[in-house]
Amino acid sequence: MTTYRPVLALASVISLALFCGACGKESTTIEPTKLKSFAALPEAHASGANDPAAAKIALGRMLYYDARLSKGQTLSCNSCHPLSTYGVDGKPTSEGHLGQRGARNSPTVYNAALHFVQFWDGRAPDVEKQAGGPLLNPVEMAMPSEKAVVAVLKSMPGYVNAFRRAFPGEKNPVTFIHATEAIGQFERGLITPSRWDKFLKGDHAVLTPEERAGFNHFIAAGCDTCHSGSLVGGNAFQKLGVLKEYPEASDPGRYQVTRNQNDRMYFKVSPLRNVAMTGPYFHTGKVATLDDAVRQMAQYQTGKELATVDREAIVTWLKTLTGDIDANYIKQPELPKSTSRTPRARATA
Amino acid sequence: MIRRMLRVAFPLAVAVLIGAQFFPPARTNPVSDPESSFEAVARPPAEVASLVNRACRDCHSNETVWPWYSKVAPVSWLVAKDVQEGRNHLNFSEWGRLGPEMARSRLREVCEQVRGNEMPLWYYVPLHPTARLSQTEVTTLCNQSPGGPAD
Repeated sequence: MTTYRPVLALASVISLALFCGACGKESTTIEPTKLKSFAALPEAHASGANDPAAAKIALGRMLYYDARLSKGQTLSCNSCHPLSTYGVDGKPTSEGHLGQRGARNSPTVYNAALHFVQFWDGRAPDVEKQAGGPLLNPVEMAMPSEKAVVAVLKSMPGYVNAFRRAFPGEKNPVTFIHATEAIGQFERGLITPSRWDKFLKGDHAVLTPEERAGFNHFIAAGCDTCHSGSLVGGNAFQKLGVLKEYPEASDPGRYQVTRNQNDRMYFKVSPLRNVAMTGPYFHTGKVATLDDAVRQMAQYQTGKELATVDREAIVTWLKTLTGDIDANYIKQPELPKSTSRTPRARATA
Repeated sequence: MIRRMLRVAFPLAVAVLIGAQFFPPARTNPVSDPESSFEAVARPPAEVASLVNRACRDCHSNETVWPWYSKVAPVSWLVAKDVQEGRNHLNFSEWGRLGPEMARSRLREVCEQVRGNEMPLWYYVPLHPTARLSQTEVTTLCNQSPGGPAD
């Protein structure tokens, strides 16, 4: 027995080393095949139909920040989607005209142009079409009509000139459609590349071993079935509650758009870019923490109860999706001055 | 001793097996919008559509042809689970729910899985010989799928 003791000890040490080596390799190395479903963000998302002229972006930026485009003249796009805080207001649902609350959580506008459709239920195809929605929604900015929006814009020479520059050669440059086009064009520049993009482009050292391990946990949990692509989501509709019925079913999701029973509880898959900065979560905005969001997603979408260690690892990787905001691009511009013809605020419902 | 154990175990197993038949899994084919199908949305070449139909439809669409053994427990539970998981991951009847990027990604996965012999599942093929794809058919599926050849 004494003779064998050193041999046994050596064997144990070697086994332990091999075991730990295997563990380390498995958990912190990302296999290239696992990355095939992911892509880096583009520089900016241009639209073929919408000329990305600087004048149009500049106009869109002004409109984005202008509260005079709301009935009470207190709300701008930036009120519910503040650009300095990753495009979210941090509230479960946002406060609209006269303090009314929207039914769903306000999603971030960053990278929104890359979503395959807009809104939680996909009722708008792109950011240009989306931009008109909140302006006229009675519980959001509550402008009574497209005409009323145009009247506000035409009352200010500063805007009329900005529209002329953005839409040169147009007989009637100041229109509602042009306003939404300009806002959309501005939003197409709200792209936030992160360390994850550097990793995808080949700089593997940019992620810590813990972050790389976190990605492997994300894959092992099956999250990439829906959360993949350049946005890590945002490229499909999925039922909320695939494997376990979601308890809060008062909002039927895409059904509201299609009236097709098969679309009940289907929502656009949330993109996970900047997810650590854009809580609270889900369409209800009732999930306060990212840890709980991961837990619930695993529970209802994959039928798994994730251990704390798995959730922590996943959250560690999700934080690598927090991108850089271009402070210069989002800087609030000087807005055109109101005139005597500019309609006054209306504090009625 | 063994004989005595078998005398108890065999009837017990038969009883469990008979009892299991009273708990059939859901074998549903949800109604789906034909406009949302792979054929309608992606407009694949006829050959690709036919291959998908032959090799993938039973587990990856809402048009499952439930075989006789899918009515006998415990196999019924395994078949129902495979179909449920298959539909959750990829459903050709609900292709319209995918954006262009996700659709391309799914088709690339299809190519990789059939090329790597991971799909159709090994135990599915002997009972569905038409699901077996030749090398030429795999190449067709990979190269002619909408979105262009897979890597």
